[in-house]
Amino acid sequence: MSGSISLGKILESRELLYTLLLISVILPIIHPLGIPIAVSARTKAVYDYIEKNLKPGCHVYFEIYYEVAARGELEPNVVALTKHLFDKGCKIVYGSLASYGVVVFNLLKSTAADIFQGKEYGKDYVFLGYVAGGESAAASLAKSIKGTVSTDNYGNRLEDLPLMREVDKATDFDLVIIASSGTDTFAYYVRQWYTPYNVPLLFAALSIIAPSIEPYVGAKQAVGMLVGQRAGAEYEVLVGRLGLGMASMDAQSTSHMLVLAFIVIGNVVYWSRRLSSKKGGGK
Amino acid sequence: MSLVVRKYIPQLIVSVIIVLSIAFYYLYINDSVAKGLTTADKALSDWAVIVTSFALIVGGVDILRYHLTKIRREGLRQAPFSAVTISLLAIMVILALIGWYWSYANPKAGITITTQPQFTWLYSNIYAPADSAMYSILVFYIASASYRAFRVRNPPALLLLVTAVIVMLGNTTIGGLIWPGFLGLRDWIMTVPNTAAFRPITIGAGLGTIILGLRLLTWREISWMGRRD
Amino acid sequence: MIDWSVFGAWISAAMVVWIYSFAYRDNVFYKLAEHMFVGAAAGYSIALALDSLNRVMIKPAVTTPNTFWPNSWHYVIPAILGVLMFAKYSRRYYWLARYAVAVNIAVGTGLAMRTVPIANIVRQVTATIVPLWGSDPVAVLNNWLLVLITIGGLTYFLFTVFPKRAEGARPSPLYYVYRALYYIGIYGMMVGFGALFANTIMTRVGFLISIYLIYLQPQYWATIVAAILAAVAILLSLRKK
Repeated sequence: MSGSISLGKILESRELLYTLLLISVILPIIHPLGIPIAVSARTKAVYDYIEKNLKPGCHVYFEIYYEVAARGELEPNVVALTKHLFDKGCKIVYGSLASYGVVVFNLLKSTAADIFQGKEYGKDYVFLGYVAGGESAAASLAKSIKGTVSTDNYGNRLEDLPLMREVDKATDFDLVIIASSGTDTFAYYVRQWYTPYNVPLLFAALSIIAPSIEPYVGAKQAVGMLVGQRAGAEYEVLVGRLGLGMASMDAQSTSHMLVLAFIVIGNVVYWSRRLSSKKGGGK
Repeated sequence: MSLVVRKYIPQLIVSVIIVLSIAFYYLYINDSVAKGLTTADKALSDWAVIVTSFALIVGGVDILRYHLTKIRREGLRQAPFSAVTISLLAIMVILALIGWYWSYANPKAGITITTQPQFTWLYSNIYAPADSAMYSILVFYIASASYRAFRVRNPPALLLLVTAVIVMLGNTTIGGLIWPGFLGLRDWIMTVPNTAAFRPITIGAGLGTIILGLRLLTWREISWMGRRD
Repeated sequence: MIDWSVFGAWISAAMVVWIYSFAYRDNVFYKLAEHMFVGAAAGYSIALALDSLNRVMIKPAVTTPNTFWPNSWHYVIPAILGVLMFAKYSRRYYWLARYAVAVNIAVGTGLAMRTVPIANIVRQVTATIVPLWGSDPVAVLNNWLLVLITIGGLTYFLFTVFPKRAEGARPSPLYYVYRALYYIGIYGMMVGFGALFANTIMTRVGFLISIYLIYLQPQYWATIVAAILAAVAILLSLRKK
């Protein structure tokens, strides 16, 4: 009992807690543990949906709505999904309702340049850039992309791009993928793309917001969901291109174990102190 | 008259646009009218896009004013920091304007407002890492709170802890080593009890949105107008 | 000659380390990093707003005036309203900004209002109407849990008027039903919040890992130098106190 109280006193220093956390993250990255990963049923279901339903030449709209900070959680999902779609022969129109989507897309292209090799811009994929307006912009894009923006992110007129002659409105797409770090974006697409036009939606979300958008998936308003870094690592295994997702899983494991240890030790110390004060106080 | 233009006409605009927005969506008379309504609806969305862009510019100007005021009030102690903010803001806007100029002067160069090279350099090397760090600094406080604040004092808290432990172990690869069933258990928790727990919240949020809309429509909600008359 | 990519990588690493140093103590390097961040963010927002205006309105008006002006002349109205937003700085004419805000608020609310009843309410309710008996016991159990926790949560949030209980009299069956649903809702939400807590840790740690991999590990000398500078600043500020 007194040992746990002394341990509690040591751990009360928050600087020590922060340093232990940093070590638990950095050490497994420098010296990987190589813990194997199992693919969950939900990630497999998303993979199977794309395998079964998307044919060569299909069109996919890909919403990039996460900031640079969220790259660790969402970029593995986006890269793996992009690889899968390109392997299936799909054509992708990327867009972003967020101002930071532009930089994130450029970073995506630079870190996953191998995926875009052999793909021609304007024919196989297009990036519309940032479209200001939030839900209004989502509604406007669903009605007509060319009516909402006249040029892509690089200043090319949409009429001049072969891919943009094939698609213009929500119903022209076979799938809409939303990779977002905010809850609202999913709601925008559910309300402005799925509800009026019944376009299939696929979510790639941060782990922290997954619980709150689960009801949309449960209500079949989305065909599936990839949640966070774990799903990204699983999808990388499925498409055969290991990257940031798999590289992060060992560090995730050790840091999670550390936080669990903090919770358990914290409660043991708390209850030890409470019981010992009751023993000392109550006669 | 003055109250009419200051208060009542903006509220009337809100009511009219909300009614029009709903009417454009639900009303159907015949195909040609529907086409006209769709065009009008799109125009309304585009109006909001344009106004939002100006709102962003006003936000940037607000920051400029705030820091200029701070320099005036706090003097040399704050001046270097505020000067850094103002300088960076000005430099990025100037670089964006240069990119804008080149997008018209030499379109073939492929330079636009957001792809101007120095502008991209500043964003990638100053904003992006700082933004990432600001988001992730919370992990330290969560770790600290896990030790200091997460106390199991009653059965609901115990259930919360047990669920958190199961989902944490299901989220990590080490959980699969301890017991492979954690992954399936995590998926079950996310698809059944978690979905059911957040469904009332989603429904409540929907009801709240409708109520807010009705309050705006009936002129009961005036907080958006800011300063009271 | 400066290699700008290397210089940029050093600045990135320093920005990350100085912002993290705030977790230990506030210090002058954190303040510097914070102010740099705010300036860059504000500048970027303005640049993107200009880009959006250029693409939606200005470029079509300049490059294709024959199609733009007959069909989209009305874009001038929100542009004027947008300019009027600057009137908020005036003590006398601040109310002019309300016209632009009114348009924005109304369009956003209208867009949400027309689809929220279906997306957020009807579909969520219909998704809760599931078969409560059948041949598969696991599916039946899942469905019962789904229905009970959803109704329990709704009881907790919305149906907040408990059936009255007369003094000395036995509570009615309805009272017991309410209490049961109320507690099912609470426990159901504890499960939801437990999952939320676990996912929160996953997300935040994921951010930390990706920052280390992207910014700090490639530039470890910059990381070490920035950390030493921050440590010195913290120690000096502690000495001052």
